[in-house]
Amino acid sequence: MKLTKDQLQKLILSGIGFVVLVYVYSTFFLGPLNKSRDSMLATIKDLQTKIGASKNEMHNATTLEGQATAATNRFAALKALSPEGAPIAWFPPRIKTFFAKQNIEKSSTRLDNSSAFKQSELSAWIKNTWQIDLPQADFETLGKAVAQLESTEPLLSITRLNIKTAAEDPQFQQAALSASTIMVKR
Amino acid sequence: MALHLNLLHEEISEHRQRQRDPLKIGMIALGIFGALMFGYYMWNAYQTLEIKGRLTAAQHDWEKVEPEVVAAQKRADELNGIIGTTKVLDGMIDTRFYWAPFLETLARCVAPNAQLTSLDGLVLDDNKGISITVEGVAAGREPRAAAEELRQLLLEQIGQDHKDVKVEFKTLEDLDTIANLGGANMAMARYVLNVAFNPFPAAKPDASAAPRPPKEKPE
Repeated sequence: MKLTKDQLQKLILSGIGFVVLVYVYSTFFLGPLNKSRDSMLATIKDLQTKIGASKNEMHNATTLEGQATAATNRFAALKALSPEGAPIAWFPPRIKTFFAKQNIEKSSTRLDNSSAFKQSELSAWIKNTWQIDLPQADFETLGKAVAQLESTEPLLSITRLNIKTAAEDPQFQQAALSASTIMVKR
Repeated sequence: MALHLNLLHEEISEHRQRQRDPLKIGMIALGIFGALMFGYYMWNAYQTLEIKGRLTAAQHDWEKVEPEVVAAQKRADELNGIIGTTKVLDGMIDTRFYWAPFLETLARCVAPNAQLTSLDGLVLDDNKGISITVEGVAAGREPRAAAEELRQLLLEQIGQDHKDVKVEFKTLEDLDTIANLGGANMAMARYVLNVAFNPFPAAKPDASAAPRPPKEKPE
């Protein structure tokens, strides 16, 4: 069949109309609809993953709560070793009372320095170094007192110990202790 | 045979040409195709609406769960912090050096003919060890031998509990002073001992989160 010029023009016009229709349909109708649907499906998947993970997380938190009971109690006990208030206000009297109970009447405590810890876990804690002077103590009593101090103060560590005979009374010794303590920042 | 004349052949030809008009056929095809596409679009729109409903339900579920999850995460972080802190603190407590047992050992090693006049002990930085300087005097027929006896006893006794033990004389000198021991006059020597040892473990053990009772120390 041979097409006339007029028929050929009409055929081309129909073809252009078809292409325009397909373009408009896919760009302005089906495309946005599919895009919106895909986006919603992705959001649903994301939410379902989150909900699934959240169940695990809540279960883990419950398990951790049970497992951490001992650590929580231990932490509370260690924290309770630092009373409220500035350490300089309560630590020297506590040490004075302690040594008095150990029959060492004379004692003085002063704060040497304070520094933060490098470990991130101890960001809420502070390291204080104290100078404890015991001008009159006999060796045996001092030894027992040091043992008791090390037992009852788990967050105290003696870093330097100096004992020498008292010049005026040779039966007694003079002792000086450098002790570092770990305390809660207040 | 009858002669059949078609006097309307031009009109029929025109009619046939109109029926075969490509524009008309194209428009009809376009209309059918458009209807199909519209149907397909409606079907997709229906599915999208259904998905939207599912999304709303999922969002509703998440809104119900989210506060609990946030609280659980916060609590878990808090607990992990507590566990971590307790572990580090326990590690520090466990690696402390206890002076009382050392003082007891030292007291056991000092014989009646030796006397300590001064002791200066230091925990080296980063728990590298302990360094102690002991000063004293010893009396006897051989006061240097009495001082050496103390040195050897210290070496032996400290070596039982700690590693890398060194007990060395920094100074050992005779004194002009005479001491009276049990009614007998004895010569005296003055000594300075450097004592060094390492009570700390080479590699830090992994401290557990569980609490540990404080170490019992002999008195």
